Amino acid sequence: MTRTSYRAATVLAIGLLAPQLGWAQARHVLSGQVRGTDGTALPGATVAVPSLGLGTATDENGRYRLDVPAGPQNVTVSFVGYLPQTFRVNLSRSQQRDLTLAPNANELTEVVVQGQQTLEEKLVTTQMGVERLSIREAKLLPALFGEVDILKTLQLKPGVQSGGEGSSGLFVRGGSSDQNLVLLDNALIYNPNHLFGLFSVFNSDAVQSVDLYKSGFPAQFGGRLSSVIDVKLREGSREKFTVTGGIGLIASRLSLEGPLGKRADGQAAKGSFIVSARRTYFDVFTRAINRANAGTEGYRPIPDYYFQDFNAKANYTLGEKDQVFATGYLGRDVFGFNSFGNLQADFAWGNTLGTLRWQHTFSPRLTANTQVGLTSYRYSLGSQVDVASFGLTSTIRDYNARVDFDYDLNPAHNVRFGASFTHHTFGVGRLQVETADNSLNVDNNISYTALEGGLYASDNWKVSDKLQAELGLRLSGFGNDAGQVYGGLEPRLAARYALSNKLSLKANYALMYQYAHLASNTGASLPTDIWYPSRLSVKPQRSQQVSTGFSWLLFGGKFLLTDEVYYKWAQNQVDFRDGAQIFANPNLDQEFLFGKGWSYGNELYLEKQKGKTTGWIGYTLAWSWRRFGPQRGTPGINDGRDYYPSYDRRHNLNVVVLHQFNTRLSLTASFVYTSSAPTTLPAGRFPLQNVPGGDILAVPVYPDRNTYRLIPYHRLDLGVVWKLRPVRFGTERDLTFSIYNAYDRRNAYFVYFEISRNPNTDLIDGFTAQQVSLFPIIPSVTYNFKF
Amino acid sequence: MFSKRLFIQMSLGGLLLTAAGCNLENEVDVVLPAYTPELVVECYLRAGEVPRLTVVESGTYLPSKADGTGQPVITLPTAAVPTLGLGINGITIQVPVDVTVRLTLPGGQSVPLQFAPGIDPLTRKVFTHIGTAPLAMQPGQRFGLDVRDTRGHHVTGSTGVPTFVPIDTVRYASNGVNGPEQRFNFVTRFTDPAGTADYYRLLLTNQRDLNDSEGDYLVSDQVFDGQSYTFPTTYRFTPGDTMTATLFHMEPDYYNFQQSVRGAISANGNPFAQPARIRSTVQGGLGVFTILVSDQRSVVLK
Repeated sequence: MTRTSYRAATVLAIGLLAPQLGWAQARHVLSGQVRGTDGTALPGATVAVPSLGLGTATDENGRYRLDVPAGPQNVTVSFVGYLPQTFRVNLSRSQQRDLTLAPNANELTEVVVQGQQTLEEKLVTTQMGVERLSIREAKLLPALFGEVDILKTLQLKPGVQSGGEGSSGLFVRGGSSDQNLVLLDNALIYNPNHLFGLFSVFNSDAVQSVDLYKSGFPAQFGGRLSSVIDVKLREGSREKFTVTGGIGLIASRLSLEGPLGKRADGQAAKGSFIVSARRTYFDVFTRAINRANAGTEGYRPIPDYYFQDFNAKANYTLGEKDQVFATGYLGRDVFGFNSFGNLQADFAWGNTLGTLRWQHTFSPRLTANTQVGLTSYRYSLGSQVDVASFGLTSTIRDYNARVDFDYDLNPAHNVRFGASFTHHTFGVGRLQVETADNSLNVDNNISYTALEGGLYASDNWKVSDKLQAELGLRLSGFGNDAGQVYGGLEPRLAARYALSNKLSLKANYALMYQYAHLASNTGASLPTDIWYPSRLSVKPQRSQQVSTGFSWLLFGGKFLLTDEVYYKWAQNQVDFRDGAQIFANPNLDQEFLFGKGWSYGNELYLEKQKGKTTGWIGYTLAWSWRRFGPQRGTPGINDGRDYYPSYDRRHNLNVVVLHQFNTRLSLTASFVYTSSAPTTLPAGRFPLQNVPGGDILAVPVYPDRNTYRLIPYHRLDLGVVWKLRPVRFGTERDLTFSIYNAYDRRNAYFVYFEISRNPNTDLIDGFTAQQVSLFPIIPSVTYNFKF
Repeated sequence: MFSKRLFIQMSLGGLLLTAAGCNLENEVDVVLPAYTPELVVECYLRAGEVPRLTVVESGTYLPSKADGTGQPVITLPTAAVPTLGLGINGITIQVPVDVTVRLTLPGGQSVPLQFAPGIDPLTRKVFTHIGTAPLAMQPGQRFGLDVRDTRGHHVTGSTGVPTFVPIDTVRYASNGVNGPEQRFNFVTRFTDPAGTADYYRLLLTNQRDLNDSEGDYLVSDQVFDGQSYTFPTTYRFTPGDTMTATLFHMEPDYYNFQQSVRGAISANGNPFAQPARIRSTVQGGLGVFTILVSDQRSVVLK
């Protein structure tokens, strides 16, 4: 344990054990759940006793707990887009009170952009470096091909870089994309992307909310270094059956939700369900084109491709104290190629997960969530070339159990504690090669197992009216099938000091371990990348981050300005030696190289949530670095000199504006500017004659990694949401128009060199650099409906 | 890995087709990082052959008119005769004339290779330095190389003699179609020695053009140690072709060099690739110094 860890543990212990003074007046717990009239839980709703200045927000399940002094009190419950409700209590003992809020049609006309936290809540929370996104926000913004993508919307927040044009990949504060802990209802998603990152696996119709943590990670999260992306699926309506869907340029969606269980008169059902499905239809068109050209000489068939995903969630209230939830997800990308007979290739990949969660309320002060589940990611590549067939598969499969307790010790202390346990099976790679005559038969399978566990406790401590702290500690461990055990303490500390009711100062520190590593020897994240466990020669990755900043409510609370400065440093960062062979390699760990990474920057964020015009401006100034010194008989990377990773960007500006003209028409615009992306281009070349019979080659010589910068990236997207008149009462329809890359900017996806030839002699007469862009201006329209 | 390459090629093909269809490709001016030329050595020794070596200088990726080295510039012949593969019309290969080369034999004797540029009439490969006597060698013996110019470049290398691994069989089969659409595949089989890490290169050539390979494969025995291994091809050869399979048993350094060369070449135009540095088998410059031990079989397809 490091000295820092000891200090953190001491501080945490003091926090947990400190005598509780100053709460002499008798208090009781008022608790319950807040739902909308359709039965869906409302996370982020405010429950307050205004006369006493007491208040809290509902958790991700819409549940709240509030310590209220004995005696008569007026309690108000409010949530953006819903009519507030006030009721009177006279507590002589703890009491449970569930509430149902009705939508406020009038307010909806004005309020367009709302996360789950109001600006006031963002001001007072100890949490910093967190971005909360409601799905309504994501659905209003213009999208590539009209496909709403919550991960791309997160890229519009400060401190988050995309993996490139159109990519859903997230690179948070200098971390790589595999260092994001992506959770769907608390279950891990190993590959959150479809189609090489152009789309995320999350169907917007099924998602309730997304929280992105960039720093100050709560202690219940562990296993990744850079960020937590916590996605919650919607619960279906407990009131009525509803069908929601959309027909877009490249994909369509359909969801069905409704009540489960008997309904007493006037009461919501005891449970609900929602099932959602989505599929693209590129393949319908490409197959037709291929059929039409089947006899054409020289025609090269277009590969078939589609992706689909399926979400399901059900919940059921067993009694006053018990509720169960079940979540399932199945997603697949399928890529097929058939060259009219002599070459056939199939490639499929995707995630599968299922969870079962039981929520039990022991008392108004203590609740527990117990969850079991499995998650897996698998890809399989197969091809048949004449008489030979090749197959390559890789999987990772987890069985997970966790329990989380939430305990209100007293009004000054909210304590969370719990444990998690995961059994991993890393199917690093199975290579199968065989020929029809059995002259070649290779079957190579490399697989490992490991156990990962975590124990945590945290205390949200209201030290005084001005000072609030979150003290957390996580103990994580990892043991593999070779008998090696790793582990460490992960302190998580955060504090907020209110200089006034408009201005708060915040700071935090977090230490994180990552025991599973994504093995990729490409510059991009591909579905063929392999997850690899910590083993003797592959130590766990570790990072630490400190950040500090302020939140300032401006102009009567209409705007919130936040500024955060961060510094992050990481050890045991993983890369590969040049030319590493990562497939079917029984000694893959010998190909790894290890190094350091560090990043620092400043994120400035101005947000407006209320009024007809809403939106935000985010600006990030940041640096990211890597250093891999000489090791394992190699000179390391760049001969051990520092270099920028490919996602290093100096400046990043995002401007998002949403304007609601009236109840039926909204206009949205987003502008992105990022400074040049580093890449590697050859500086020299030499001729290689080769052995007799071998081809003569011009071999490029690459200098230090990422020393060339592409042109700066900028893009404007425009969107219009036009709500159509309902065909009958209770139905909704809209047309969503998007223009991606509105001024048709040719952003650089990559640069390559082309040999130019003399048209008269067909002889090589030089080389030209060619810049490839991915997307021109792309208009799209999506028809969405709900009935 | 064939399947992964295929997948990436298909993806990339689709990407470039889309880009080309939408006019998303345009020529740009790039200012590449500064580059200092290095000596490039290419030397393949064989038992019973007079040693030859080629020394050239690497150049900037985008060629310029003059490099200011003061060295004589040899503009290689036009396409009608062999070239170094970079074409003509302004693109030239720098062949330094101030280089001395010495070869260290297994017994420690150091012999010079004389500067005598020429072209092998059979293989059409250019050489700049040549020895005086054929080499004798046995598996496990080591040779050394020392290359210097008058401007401070100093390249050294050392390599061992691999053991001989024979080809077990070569065979071919028809696609079952008669007439002009008939095609043959070609299968080469060998047996890997057990218990050692071994590296191989299989080169397929067609008698019609001995300097344009029909297949060039690298493989290590990680997944078939001690077993038979087969290189199959697709049905792509025509009746009457004379196919030659040459199986090289390689030193690990030469295998790594070949891998890095292929990785560096394929990284151009592939946005998913992480460009690899060349892993030369020599120190102080670029290139390869190795000993070729190979077995060869030829067959006429009919």
